[in-house]
Amino acid sequence: MEEKIISKENLISFVNDLIKDNHFVVGQDEKAVGWKNIIDAKELRINHGGVPSNISYKEFIFAKTEPIFYFKNKKDDYDLVEKKHDNRKIIFIGAKPCDARSIEIMSKVFNWDYKDEFFNERADNSIVIGTACNYQDEFCFCTSVGLDPTTEKGSDIFLIPLDENNFGFRIVSERGKEFIQPYQKYLNDGNTAHSTEILSKIKNPEKKFESSKVKEWITNNFEHKLFDKIGETCLGCGQCAFACPVCHCFDIVDEECDYSCGRRMKNWDACQFSLFTLHGSGHNPRDNQGKRYRQRIAHKFKYYPDKFDEILCTGCGRCSRGCPVGIDIAAVATEIFNIERSEISLTK
Amino acid sequence: MSNTNIYKPELMEVTDIIEETCDTRTFRLKFKNEEVAKSFSFKAGQFGEYSVFGEGESTFCIASSPTRSEYIECSFKQIGKVTTALKRLSVGDTIGFRGPYGNYFPVDEMKGKNVLFIAGGIGLAPVRCIIWNVLDLRNEFKDVTIVYGARSYKDLVYKRELKEWKERADIKTVVTLDPGGEVPDWDGEIGFVPAIVEKVAPKAENTIAIVCGPPIMIKFTIPVLQKLGFKEENIITTLENRMKCGLGKCGRCNVGNVYVCKDGPVFTYAQLKELPQEY
Repeated sequence: MEEKIISKENLISFVNDLIKDNHFVVGQDEKAVGWKNIIDAKELRINHGGVPSNISYKEFIFAKTEPIFYFKNKKDDYDLVEKKHDNRKIIFIGAKPCDARSIEIMSKVFNWDYKDEFFNERADNSIVIGTACNYQDEFCFCTSVGLDPTTEKGSDIFLIPLDENNFGFRIVSERGKEFIQPYQKYLNDGNTAHSTEILSKIKNPEKKFESSKVKEWITNNFEHKLFDKIGETCLGCGQCAFACPVCHCFDIVDEECDYSCGRRMKNWDACQFSLFTLHGSGHNPRDNQGKRYRQRIAHKFKYYPDKFDEILCTGCGRCSRGCPVGIDIAAVATEIFNIERSEISLTK
Repeated sequence: MSNTNIYKPELMEVTDIIEETCDTRTFRLKFKNEEVAKSFSFKAGQFGEYSVFGEGESTFCIASSPTRSEYIECSFKQIGKVTTALKRLSVGDTIGFRGPYGNYFPVDEMKGKNVLFIAGGIGLAPVRCIIWNVLDLRNEFKDVTIVYGARSYKDLVYKRELKEWKERADIKTVVTLDPGGEVPDWDGEIGFVPAIVEKVAPKAENTIAIVCGPPIMIKFTIPVLQKLGFKEENIITTLENRMKCGLGKCGRCNVGNVYVCKDGPVFTYAQLKELPQEY
């Protein structure tokens, strides 16, 4: 780890250089809705003190929709054409720890046995410039899933807001070190003790639940009426999955341009949709919303940890903040332990 | 880093079509690319993703035996968008194929043992794959018994093969129809599969049972087998769930933390009992 300092002006020049060097720079948009390609460094927003964007930046790694190949009909045969590869570096600037970890977590499922080149190409080309997070609200629970507002996990470079005009600039990974070589001129020597002191002043959000206990509870209470109860509230809109930085389910569908050509698409999908698991015969293994919500919780806290040794959640709280009916995943995980004692309250 | 698109299918030509029932068809398929055809191999019980370009992909098992490597066959029932499009195709048309995926029946462990096949309806497709595999290596197995049932005469699939199996002296084949589904000259059994299995009463000793069919049939057949003395680990079945990728990524076929597409589709009853009831 190397400790440097970058001033705000230098950060802007640095980002302009990145854009000039034909890197794909991604930053948070003005209204904190989502993330976008930054084409002028003036648009850059390091949102260390604000609410996490409504949507994470996973779409730049795991695309909302993308063609996996094109097909062209010629008489009795087909031509299958693959997309062109884009080897530009994707640079995420201002990722909070709950975003920065997402690529590493998702990469497990996209790489067990079969390797998804669409995900890998972008993940391998990505540089995450994370930032310490100065924000917390009642929906945040990163400390319950093994992260905290000051962790460098998942970041290649880590920004620490020191004062009005300066950021601490920690070079965390080898990848980050190599990447920053051409831009050394913008960096000054930093003081680790000083930035560490600043970080120590950031208060951790309260730990709401023990994720291993959630796992244990689901294992022993798979048929619990709690899930039916949530199912009665949940609309099945899938907002939670689309806002989530690590939900990775997708669909494969064909789109025809005309009679002779078309493309096969890989699109985001969500386990909360009623058609998600519907069989051709009409049978549906998850035939009510309660079972679908159970799948969501169990996938995050049991199946994924069992299979990949990683919780499929970063505690960003987006699913809860955006839920139209106020289902709070952390509240559910917490309430599990109060079930025997009191009436269940699932929403905030 | 290898740059291979795991979602891109190989092209196959439909070389033969057999109309099994009014809505079920069998395709015989050959790879268009010689090299792919040469290097392709699979094991009994594995499945693939079959696609009609412009309509989408569908998941079926490979219904032909790995001992017959010059082609693969699949059987499907016209039920949704892709299968309707497949039904429109004729000999000479091109489809996409990805596979083989998933695990397989333990053919090697079955060698030297008796084998009991139980299937219902279109569930005969994956069983047919291993039946031919066993019959093509007949000397390596002991007694072979097949019990197959369908709702009615018109729902029986692979009719020509059923006849062939019935005529063979080295296997015992029992075909049954649900009560009311028979035709006047029907010479097989009448009754539900579990009842017929009980009547046939195959011996459990040194026997592996493979059971595929509608969930309701499996549910009532397993207690019969247990009554006959079959151990849970000697009862083998397959799970079917909706799939898109077949590669353990798209997230819909899981039963608990088991991905049917990668950890299955073949499970012993002992394994199945450990899974949450969500299939």
